Amino acid sequence: MTNDVLVQTLAAILFIIGMLVVLLRRDTIMVLMGIELLLNAANLSLVAFSKSAGMIEGQLQVFFVITIAAAESAIGLSILVNLYRNFGSIKTQNATTLKG
Amino acid sequence: MSPVILILAVISVVLAGTMLFAKNPITSALCLLGVLLMTAGIYGLIGEHLIATIQLVVYAGAIMVLFIFSIMLLNLNTESEDHKKEPLMFFSAIALGMGVLTFIILALNEHFLNHPMDYSVGKFTPEVIAELGGNSKVLAHALFSQFYVSFEVISLALLIAIVGAVVLAKRKFD
Repeated sequence: MTNDVLVQTLAAILFIIGMLVVLLRRDTIMVLMGIELLLNAANLSLVAFSKSAGMIEGQLQVFFVITIAAAESAIGLSILVNLYRNFGSIKTQNATTLKG
Repeated sequence: MSPVILILAVISVVLAGTMLFAKNPITSALCLLGVLLMTAGIYGLIGEHLIATIQLVVYAGAIMVLFIFSIMLLNLNTESEDHKKEPLMFFSAIALGMGVLTFIILALNEHFLNHPMDYSVGKFTPEVIAELGGNSKVLAHALFSQFYVSFEVISLALLIAIVGAVVLAKRKFD
């Protein structure tokens, strides 16, 4: 088992755990943290594949993904503050106003 | 296989599992911080120094400070044990996760056993990178020459995110 296999397996397990966090937790802030974990796992996989193939495009892509993740969490947390201000709670089942 | 990477991998899986099942959001946030630090360590160990530093500064620094600041600002210490109330949802999500994990492991198995990767697909082998002046220098050179349009567009996206966050979070003056 090489380093590549180990890192890719770790990225797969972290991705699944992030997916479970998004699916199972009912706090909006936990959903946002699950998205961060998903992005982190995808970054890990991208960097390891790009490194082992002798390319640098993957690392640059990860640089952009991290920037977008920072922007996404800033927007997401300000939406969260609004949600808390309007509903007094951040449970996802409270925000059903847009549900058809 | 490096034993240090194995140790970091095991610690990060344990921390991610704790994050999934922790009742308190602050526990989950600190576990996520641990996972991000372990990932930065793995990046450093496989030789990606620039990405490891960015991971430490941006992810483990800025983003996690935002999360912990929000948790403390909104006083979210209510212990929510809600995923146990829906056992059907819980077990179907676990089963879905195991199914997807099985497919990913099968695909990785196929890739690594049957199609061993040619390590000279790109031209940036470790020797070439060392000769060109190191990982950070190579990445920075590519970022500011070949990918400069992407770099400018990403700065525009950050500006839009700043304005959007301020507009969304400010109180209405009416």
